[in-house]
Amino acid sequence: MASRAAERVLQHQVVVLGAGLAGMRAALEAARAGADVAVVSKVFPTRSHSTAAQGGINAALAEDDSWEKHAFDTVKGSDYLGDQDAIEVLCREAPSDILELEHMGVAFNRKPDGRMAQRPFGGAGFARTCYVADITGHAIVHTMWEQLAKAGVRVYDEWFATSLITDDSCCRGITAMELRTGTIYTIEAKAVVVATGGLGRVYQPTTNGLICTGDGMALAYRAGAALQDMEFTQFHPTTLKNSGVLITEGARGEGGHLLNKDGERFMAKYAPNRLELASRDVVSRAEQTEIDEGRGVDGCVLLDLRHLGTKLIHEKLYQIYELARDLAGADCTKEPIPVRPGMHYQMGGVKTDANGAGTLRGLYAAGECASVSVHGANRLGGNSLLETVVFGRRAGRAAAEWAHEAPEAGPLSNAAGRDMERSIRELAGRSSNGDRPAKLRWELGTAMNSLAGIFRTGEQLAEGVKAVREVRERYARVGVRDHGRVFNTDLVAVLELGYMLDLAGTMVAGALARTESRGAHSRRDYPKRDDANWLKHTLAVYSPEGPKLSYATVTQTRWQPEERRY
Amino acid sequence: MKFAFYPGCVSRGACPELYPSATAVAAKLGLELEELRGASCTGAGVLQESNLFLGDCLNARTFAMAEAMDRPIMTICSTCQGVMGQARQRINADPDYRARVNQVLAEEGLEYKGTVQVKHMLWVMVEDVGLDTLKSLVVRPLSELRVAPFYGCYIVRPRSALEVDEHVGRLTALESVIEALGGTPVEFPGKTRCCGFPILTINEVNAVAMVAKHTEDAKVRGADAMVTPCPLCHLNLDGYQVKAMGQVRQRIELPILHLPQLIGLALGLDPKALGLGRHIISTAPVLEKLSKVAVRA
Amino acid sequence: MQVTLKVRRYNPEAEKPKDYWQEYNVEVESAGTVLDALIKVREETDETLALRCSCRSSICGSCAMRINGHAALACKTRVSAVAHQGEPVTVEPVGNLPVIKDLVADFQPFWDKVRAVQPWLQTAGPEPEKEYLASNEAMMHLAGVVNCIMCGACVSDCTVLEVDKNFLGPAALAKAYRFAADPRDAATSQRMGLYNQYGGVWDCTRCFECVQVCPKGVAPMDRIMALRERVMANGLKDTYGARHTEAFTEIIEHSGRLDELRLPLKTYGYTNIPKLIELMPVAIRALAKRKSPPVLHKSIPGVENVKRIFKKVDQLQKGDGKVSTEKAPPKP
Repeated sequence: MASRAAERVLQHQVVVLGAGLAGMRAALEAARAGADVAVVSKVFPTRSHSTAAQGGINAALAEDDSWEKHAFDTVKGSDYLGDQDAIEVLCREAPSDILELEHMGVAFNRKPDGRMAQRPFGGAGFARTCYVADITGHAIVHTMWEQLAKAGVRVYDEWFATSLITDDSCCRGITAMELRTGTIYTIEAKAVVVATGGLGRVYQPTTNGLICTGDGMALAYRAGAALQDMEFTQFHPTTLKNSGVLITEGARGEGGHLLNKDGERFMAKYAPNRLELASRDVVSRAEQTEIDEGRGVDGCVLLDLRHLGTKLIHEKLYQIYELARDLAGADCTKEPIPVRPGMHYQMGGVKTDANGAGTLRGLYAAGECASVSVHGANRLGGNSLLETVVFGRRAGRAAAEWAHEAPEAGPLSNAAGRDMERSIRELAGRSSNGDRPAKLRWELGTAMNSLAGIFRTGEQLAEGVKAVREVRERYARVGVRDHGRVFNTDLVAVLELGYMLDLAGTMVAGALARTESRGAHSRRDYPKRDDANWLKHTLAVYSPEGPKLSYATVTQTRWQPEERRY
Repeated sequence: MKFAFYPGCVSRGACPELYPSATAVAAKLGLELEELRGASCTGAGVLQESNLFLGDCLNARTFAMAEAMDRPIMTICSTCQGVMGQARQRINADPDYRARVNQVLAEEGLEYKGTVQVKHMLWVMVEDVGLDTLKSLVVRPLSELRVAPFYGCYIVRPRSALEVDEHVGRLTALESVIEALGGTPVEFPGKTRCCGFPILTINEVNAVAMVAKHTEDAKVRGADAMVTPCPLCHLNLDGYQVKAMGQVRQRIELPILHLPQLIGLALGLDPKALGLGRHIISTAPVLEKLSKVAVRA
Repeated sequence: MQVTLKVRRYNPEAEKPKDYWQEYNVEVESAGTVLDALIKVREETDETLALRCSCRSSICGSCAMRINGHAALACKTRVSAVAHQGEPVTVEPVGNLPVIKDLVADFQPFWDKVRAVQPWLQTAGPEPEKEYLASNEAMMHLAGVVNCIMCGACVSDCTVLEVDKNFLGPAALAKAYRFAADPRDAATSQRMGLYNQYGGVWDCTRCFECVQVCPKGVAPMDRIMALRERVMANGLKDTYGARHTEAFTEIIEHSGRLDELRLPLKTYGYTNIPKLIELMPVAIRALAKRKSPPVLHKSIPGVENVKRIFKKVDQLQKGDGKVSTEKAPPKP
């Protein structure tokens, strides 16, 4: 690392934005490839939201399983919108990446023969989800942080990214605010890997943490990169009522049942073969239908784990036992947990190829903020953790290689940093009279939930476009009440809301345009999948007037679209 | 009220004033004590560092003896209380584990059935004797005395092993007793912190720093004395207070009383019989304050 | 329900930075958490209030703070459980770490200590082609420690850190145990040497604060005790800590009860003249008050039964080769 400290300019070859699993894995790989790499994250790495992933990570490890079966399940789960070349990479490389995690120290549960245990998961034809009880994401995050600490990778933690710097469609670095001092720095880099995770807070409620505000996606979008398939938002079938907190799919993988108010296992009507373990879009729609048709319980359905027994629950599902107890007051060994579908995951994101390269030179993306696309219109449970390690690794490698090869572009001026410093100071100094950012975020979130929810119509989505525009207009006059420099979370909330408004605009625009139902995008006015017209990716590119949409072909290798049944 | 009496090692060793004061108070209150003469040391959490299972076996042996007497155990040492409580919790929670422990006890013809109760004298005051009875027996009210309650660790943590949720009042028992005796409890930050004794031989500087912190904190809040239900806390708070004063270059000189001494004084027992002359930090100021209050007939 | 939060605030940018209490009245749902209440304050009343939080589900470890004087996760603590009879709920930053602003503490010293225990797996020999073979029991035992979310609650309330910032502390040592107990780790002897040093396993006072406040049932102190057992089992017995434990155990085996005269002598060593001279003033003060333990130490009646227990336990443990502290503590 070199720096021009007085100028507040730092230099690295590769900068990774975000320190969740994808970001840490990318940084580790870039370091292994010999690059001077730094990680910039608005939270300490172990606070990242990857730690909230509970159920597991997929790989075809068993003798009678195969990467092809895993790939087919993933293609089918994606409702044929996933790019099959990327899905092949994901599933073929899964076993070696998971074995690497085990070698790094992840304490995966075992079978009696000492080999890694695997549990069944939704939409999968085979029990291929490796797990550490129901804290799998947490266990992997901490192990990955250990590896990062061992490798001595530089982490700028609690630095909030404020822009991507581009020069002639080439990514040159970032600007970021050190939260502890409020100082803006320019970090010059040959390659930037965006790995900032999801955008769940665009919706209210969501399973996502308060930090999941889509920062990297928005920064890439503002810098001119294409976002892909933003209309595909996953609603998880089992979230807690008030808080929206996640209850793992592993609960159903271990044998949990979903019941309506009559005690009926209603999934038999919707997915007679796979029941509770159909893919998430199918189960969430089934639940919503039960609730809408009056067979719910207080706006929820019931997740019943009682028959699994106290021992199994305490050994394999202890986190959700505590969450149900602490947040919903339910002892799941004695009573069912009220759950409902809730916003959980964004399938769309920064468009990349299978090496994580985005549509700008020097820009890479991995993890939830990217759209490779391996999830297409609906992600399978256990594939997101997998995506972070496979494509985090590949993006880190590719970024390091690009950093070595890229032509010298001459020193970067600090103009971007100075401009950013000025605009941030202006924002922090503005009046306290405007709307509170939390109020605007709440309005955005509830509008998205009701107008771009599990089921949507053209009418609702048009209203959604309008609602996002209206909140954006008020955002222009948003009030800032903390005028300090040190740890100004008010200022951060204002900036995050700006990111989310940009992203929400692409989500409703893409959804309104797509006149079919596919995966998680379920149009009541167009209930059928329409391969003839819509077997294609949506691309959204920034323009001052709003997102410009275009379309790209889906890569198919060996699986032709079929009707999807579970 | 009959108890299997477990005095612990220190009340007859380095704190020889504790045993006689406890038995004198018990007699005054009509507690019938039968001493567990053949019981061993609990291990004090120290032996458990090298062998937890061995410690559990030794304590289960004591439990079996008390079961045979059909009496709950009464302790006068927080450390004994805590260590026995933890052993009891571990053994009672898991029948397989208890069987393994009983396999060891079988050599002596003993068996622990999982029914023992272990109660510190402090809790006996609140739950068995009762605060009203205690109050009615006071002849020398501590009305002139501001007393800082020092719980230490083992009588308040871990809460599950001490069943404090089942017995509301255990976490405030010292204050309740001080008030019942007519005294005024003094609130200070360190009342449930560590006295430092367990690391006295390992890191004396730290152990002594804890003494300085707690005694000084209580002193500046106006305490005339500190009371503790634990002889090990007493050993450190009293025995190392001189060193603590040296460390912080402050005069503290806060008298540290054992719980039964404080009760005994209020019940009118002879200060000498309570061993108040056997403290490193003089208890004379306490006695002087008490002498201002008329003794009730 | 209505609740009053009494928050300890600190603004480093004030003219004369000084902490102070500020009260906020908030309405929360009956099942609402302290975090819900704080977020409500921050979003609707006072945007200048700084705190860290993210997951709302006790897994990211951001929101540890002192609630009514004890460390806890704000997102796991229900308001109804801590608002006693309308009394205000006090909220302060974690203890034992410097404060940056309001409820935000500087975790740099925390992470430095975690890094100091070499918190990564160190295997030996060629990597297996597939996974390392291990028992599910061993992995589940590890998962109990891996459950640690590094929230700092244990460090906040550690009694040793209060007087000595050099102590590695409960979080770092629990992390150390996680590797010491990993059947795949091959750096045992090196680790034991590291953890045996000044500031390591022997500086814990066994006060149970960390066990009590840990929101994830990790029981750091129990892990430190297990490390002590492992340190000694690895032959590192030349510390006052190890000698104290060994001497204590020998004395109990010999007489069934503590011998307070011999314990320090055996711990320090009968020939450790400087240390013994150091003890003299304390001993003389005790003697003067007739406080010294009896010179002629008596065994308990029936001490042979205690000796028999020592023998039998030794036999059993040699038989199944288990380290005794492997038994997980009960969950809180």
